[in-house]
Amino acid sequence: MSDHASADYPSNWGGGVSPLKVSYGKLFMWFFLISDALTFSAFLSAYGFMRHKFSGGEWPAPSTVFHHFPFVHAELPLAYVGLMTFILIMSSVTMVLAVEAGHRKDKKDVMMWMFFTIIGGFAFVGSQAWEWYHFITGTEAGHWKDLIVDGKVTKTLVHGANLTYNEYGNSLFGAFFFFITGFHGFHVFSGVMINITIFIMVARGVMEKRGHYEMVEKVGLYWHFVDLVWVFVFTFFYLL
Amino acid sequence: MEFHDDFPQYEFRDQHGEAEGKIQRKRLWKVFWIMLGITIFELVLGSYAASTGKVDKMVLMTVFIGFTILKAYFIVYSFMHLGHEVKSMKWIIIGPYTLFILYLVFMATVTEGNYSKTHRVSGPDKVYPAPVEGASEGVPAEGEKK
Repeated sequence: MSDHASADYPSNWGGGVSPLKVSYGKLFMWFFLISDALTFSAFLSAYGFMRHKFSGGEWPAPSTVFHHFPFVHAELPLAYVGLMTFILIMSSVTMVLAVEAGHRKDKKDVMMWMFFTIIGGFAFVGSQAWEWYHFITGTEAGHWKDLIVDGKVTKTLVHGANLTYNEYGNSLFGAFFFFITGFHGFHVFSGVMINITIFIMVARGVMEKRGHYEMVEKVGLYWHFVDLVWVFVFTFFYLL
Repeated sequence: MEFHDDFPQYEFRDQHGEAEGKIQRKRLWKVFWIMLGITIFELVLGSYAASTGKVDKMVLMTVFIGFTILKAYFIVYSFMHLGHEVKSMKWIIIGPYTLFILYLVFMATVTEGNYSKTHRVSGPDKVYPAPVEGASEGVPAEGEKK
């Protein structure tokens, strides 16, 4: 590639150029995303490991736990999480279109696409809240479980899930669900907040004064990363 | 050669006109439709497997993980523009991460995975440290009788 033409080397060693051809802001956003990706990898592999370890017991199948859909009283496994995935992929596309509009220095387009991205982000966080609500309240019938009450093993009727037990099966399932989707949901939430900040900056013409819309590209990187993590959470938590 | 003692001035090079933008947008939407198609296929396969139980688990895992990595490739390469960066930049991002992931997979499947295979916990899990309040609506728990 022309990037590695030998004629470039002397000037690279002399300093005063950026050999990676990215600004330090973008480079460090990438470094941050790598460290964040390592955290999520650790979470998901821990989930897989524990699931493997307790597979002789009663580890719940996700499709039997998450089968609710708003306004529909039927069992639709995976439909709701499919909708959430669609929302996030869609908002990822609107974000990348905002970045593309930034390359054309088209302020109106950047604002429009960023607005759609923010709406998508809120829709996703709202959907997650709805799913958490159903997971926590659980079914009406509940499930009889052996719990320790006052130091004695007692048969107890359990509804829904929390961090110590859940009606669907192994207690770790609930803990991992809250931890992984919660951590991801918080990433989405902070992503929406950052998007709103940049949206306001664009609207006030800060980027126009700077001459480029690179800030949109940086928050775009973060936002796509959030989508990327969801792709993995979707597979390892809901599909498998 | 000139010597700079200030920070290198970075020039924002990713700017283009309307014609190039049109091509790029078309490409982005194409990636979106591919990803949507993959997701719908995964959902259909997942709910079919969940309702009938006919599909082999190993096949399911291979298909799902393969498609997930494919989707990750599309997001990183196209949406995050890593495909358009210089070669050394690509390696700086992908190289260390891949190394770590290979080690993680090795740990989860070979060393720790083998341990948990021989020490697998079976039967319903019984031990919960927390006393339950309000969870025992049907039958009063023994602790509450006192």
